[in-house]
Amino acid sequence: MTTPAADRALVRCTDVGRTYGSGQSAVVAVYDVTCEVWPGDHIAIVGPSGSGKSTLLHLLAGLEVPTVGSLEWPGFGGQPRGPGSVGLVFQTPSLIPSMTVVENVELPLLFADADPEEARTRADEALALLDLRDLRDDLPQELSGGQAQRAVIARVLASGPRLILADEPTSKLDRANGAHVADVLVDVSVELGAALVIATHDPLVSGRLSDEWPMRDGRLSHLDVYDLPFPNPIERQ
Amino acid sequence: MIRLWIAGLIRKQPGRLLVALGVAIAVALLASIGAFVAHAKATMTSRAIRSVAVDWQIQAQPGTNPDKLLQLVRTYPAVQSAAPVGFAQASGFTVTTGASTQVTGAGLVLGLPPGYRGTFPGEIRTLAGSGSGVLLAQQTGANLHAQPGTEVHIELANRLSATVTVNGIVDLPQANSLFQTVGAPSSAQPTAPPDNVLLLPYAQWRSITAPLAHSRPDLVTSQIHVRLHHSLPADPAAAYAQLIGTAHNLEARSVGSALVGNNLAAALDGARSDAAYAQVIFLFLGLPGVALAALLSATVAAAAAGARRREQALLRVRGAAQRQLLRLVAAEAALVGVLGCALGLGAAAIVGRITFGSARFGATTGSALLWAGLATAAGVVVTAGAVLIPARRDLREQTVAASRQEVPTPRTPMWARYGLDIAALIGAGLAFSATRSNGYQLVVAPEGVPTISISYWALAAPALLWIGAGLLIWRLADLLLGRGRRATSLLLRPLAGRIAPVLGSSMARRRRPLVRATALVGLAIAFAISTSAFNSTYRNQAEVDAQLTNGADVTVTEPPAADVGPGLAAQLAKIPGVNRVEPMLHRYAYVGSDLQDIYGVRPGSIRSVTAVLDSYFSGGTAAQLMHTLQTHPDAVLVSAETVRDYQLHPGDLLKLRLVNGRTHQQVTVPFHYAGIVAEFPTAPRDSFFVANSSYLAARTGSSAVGDFLINTGGQNVTSVAAGVRALVGTSATVTDLNSTRGAVGSSLTSVDLAGLTRVELAFALILAAASGALVLGLGLAERRRSLAIMSAVGARRRHLFAAIAGETTLVGVGGAVTGAVLGGFLAAMLVKVLTGVFDPPPTAVSVPWGYVAALALLFAGCLAAVVLGTLRVASRSVLDTIRRL
Repeated sequence: MTTPAADRALVRCTDVGRTYGSGQSAVVAVYDVTCEVWPGDHIAIVGPSGSGKSTLLHLLAGLEVPTVGSLEWPGFGGQPRGPGSVGLVFQTPSLIPSMTVVENVELPLLFADADPEEARTRADEALALLDLRDLRDDLPQELSGGQAQRAVIARVLASGPRLILADEPTSKLDRANGAHVADVLVDVSVELGAALVIATHDPLVSGRLSDEWPMRDGRLSHLDVYDLPFPNPIERQ
Repeated sequence: MIRLWIAGLIRKQPGRLLVALGVAIAVALLASIGAFVAHAKATMTSRAIRSVAVDWQIQAQPGTNPDKLLQLVRTYPAVQSAAPVGFAQASGFTVTTGASTQVTGAGLVLGLPPGYRGTFPGEIRTLAGSGSGVLLAQQTGANLHAQPGTEVHIELANRLSATVTVNGIVDLPQANSLFQTVGAPSSAQPTAPPDNVLLLPYAQWRSITAPLAHSRPDLVTSQIHVRLHHSLPADPAAAYAQLIGTAHNLEARSVGSALVGNNLAAALDGARSDAAYAQVIFLFLGLPGVALAALLSATVAAAAAGARRREQALLRVRGAAQRQLLRLVAAEAALVGVLGCALGLGAAAIVGRITFGSARFGATTGSALLWAGLATAAGVVVTAGAVLIPARRDLREQTVAASRQEVPTPRTPMWARYGLDIAALIGAGLAFSATRSNGYQLVVAPEGVPTISISYWALAAPALLWIGAGLLIWRLADLLLGRGRRATSLLLRPLAGRIAPVLGSSMARRRRPLVRATALVGLAIAFAISTSAFNSTYRNQAEVDAQLTNGADVTVTEPPAADVGPGLAAQLAKIPGVNRVEPMLHRYAYVGSDLQDIYGVRPGSIRSVTAVLDSYFSGGTAAQLMHTLQTHPDAVLVSAETVRDYQLHPGDLLKLRLVNGRTHQQVTVPFHYAGIVAEFPTAPRDSFFVANSSYLAARTGSSAVGDFLINTGGQNVTSVAAGVRALVGTSATVTDLNSTRGAVGSSLTSVDLAGLTRVELAFALILAAASGALVLGLGLAERRRSLAIMSAVGARRRHLFAAIAGETTLVGVGGAVTGAVLGGFLAAMLVKVLTGVFDPPPTAVSVPWGYVAALALLFAGCLAAVVLGTLRVASRSVLDTIRRL
């Protein structure tokens, strides 16, 4: 039975596992994961390549379906879709090449049936916040890696999600740009009051986040939800 | 490294190999049409050879010893067998039976050696009695009331005579060539065969005519009839030229003692212009298809060019030398080329087997192999043009940075800056009007001259129209997608709603491949429409020709002496399957010294039973001129030649002399010239008149009908004809459209042009479908990443559908509409330029609505498949793509 306190969690995973393929060739990417993400959380999922970080992130975003266990989004009314739900940031700048920066940023709002003028205004504001106003009419191919990743974050900001999921957002950037992007992500999540979960193996990024979930061989290595460094859910009441 | 590269290409990017499909279409089309034309030409030659009974008739010149000449001819290398034939002029033939004596006018007595009929089986056909001995020609037999066993008295000049007993009655199917004037100039009118002919065994002929040959050598001539070895070139023109040369050589060897009547060359003379037309049709209808398939290959290759450029940029960054990259590109091109050529030749073989029952399209193995080789060479050129050359140019000219650009900067091509499209269209118009105004003839094959001339300049107008219109479609699509992005957004709004402006802008930036796809779709649709319209018009005109010759679906022709009134029409109308029956009078009328046919029609109803087209007349439409005949019963339609010869002007009084049916005396009937008629159902090709039947009957005192034209609505023609035959018996000749259709077709139609058109129409459909599905599909596949990103940032299925369907619809519908317009223009131009192919010339281009509907359905189906397929793939591969982001 669900308690009222538990309902405020954005995502809850219980014994979740994700296996690709079957039989001898089956690959277990995520195994027996139990976790929760709450509003305001700043979590770094850390671990080596192939440890299952990205798959867990995709599960949290609802892009993947678990093969075992239960995955719920109580904070989103059941499904993490629609405006103001989840904002995604990928390893490479995921901008549509044939759209300008501002068009890319306003696109999620238009998909959410926002008024085009309002969507444009919000996109411009987001770009201004990320110092990209001057590049609003440029095509993604004209941006540097850092600028493009910031444009992606502007897109997230403009759509105002309550959960930001970022998969190795700085892995393709140099150290300075990586640090800048990590700062921007944290600032944006604070600005929005959103939870931020970043899959990374970069200590520069994980160090900027309050919580760290180590991951190895598809399993989160924290022992119990109550042993984790973030507050006990019951205490949160 | 190359093996690794190829394996990776096959496993990871099989879409890149789809270029091979375009190459395969080009190869298959070229091999099919090439082999077909080679087969068609060979068939024309063999049909022409088969139609000739005696290949050469060599006339011994006065003073020549026929035996020596025969010896010379028999030793001539090209001659297979030769037989002497004697011709002697007789003053007449007489048969006396009891008290009655039948006498004919002048005639010919022929002497035929033993074995003649075995060597030349097509020359004589036995109708009654024995096939050897003394034979009487059918008409002579009828004139003399003779039959086998009848004694015929031959009257020769100088009171010489002989009496022979008839052994058989024969028909001479090739009397025109048998009794030709050997050595007559090619411009001379053909001489009519004699009315009376008697054939004797050669020895008997010689003994009877020897005194005449001595006293009147001018009345006795000798010919040598020759059968040649038929090792002739397959092309009728080459065979004709070879035969002319061989005949001249023999004449030269005989030192003037022989004159060759070259029947075989005369038969090939007609076939060679048909062969030239077949070649021209191949060029006009086949080459655009091949060019289109090449364009399709290039467009498909260009759809993958971005990925290839980025891949090359990556390899360059990793240190690959330009030479190594070139080798990889060459390996890819070779794979595409081999695959495309193999698929194309295989497809051609299958098409040949399905359409003609032979993988070689009926052509000889040599011709089929030659065309397979040519098609393969074309495939190699297409592959090089589509894959190798652009990739090599990219490698040499593009920087790594430029290569990695996902959205290339749209630039105005040089041709667009200089207005090449407009110039080509103006050029097409000028070339078209020039060819039309200069008494233009597409194929000129002067009789008796070995050379044949084809006006290849006529190709200029349609070729320039293809180029100009293709480029214009490009320009218009570029304008719409680029500067007209607001319009694009408006067009997209019903599908895309609020994201329409963003999609419109995105399409504007990616317009290069979209514009290319639109132009290709336009050209493919234009090819399909123009080819089908041309073929449909051709088929219609062949049908009109058959109907012109036969008169109607079923025609009853009364013999000249019959006196059957229009009342029979009512009985004929009762036969099951008959829609309408129209009686038509047929008389002969003298104008000056010319004897011409005159037809009496019921102007108000003639058009309800048979096709009476506007193109048959000058000076008014068919309806107007029939109305004139109706309202002015003494009006008459006259042939152009008569109008010219007698300097007639509309309204002029024209007095014709006709035979009165009651008195059998000539009467003068006044008519007024009302218009020009060039063709009319059942009428001969030369001069004739058309008048009002009531007026004609009243003035000639007889309503005897010449022909009953029966309309069956095109259904059950054969069974209706059988019913009509049962009614009229042997008193009249009954012909039907089905049998006439086969008889009137030229060798061009008889070599199964329908098969070629089926092949062409199928290829046109494939090209239209491929250009729609392949090009758009590949373009969208290239955008899978964008669609995945859209999905990841909140796009719902309807948004993805709008993005895919909006683009596909704009490109597909834009291309199809402009293509349909271009196709219409091209069809009209082709029909005008290839007017010599049509007999009679068409009034208008015929649109094959069934095919157009099938094309539209197929094309719409392809677009729908592209949209749904891309949507499915995009939805399924979102995660896969996101994993790589």
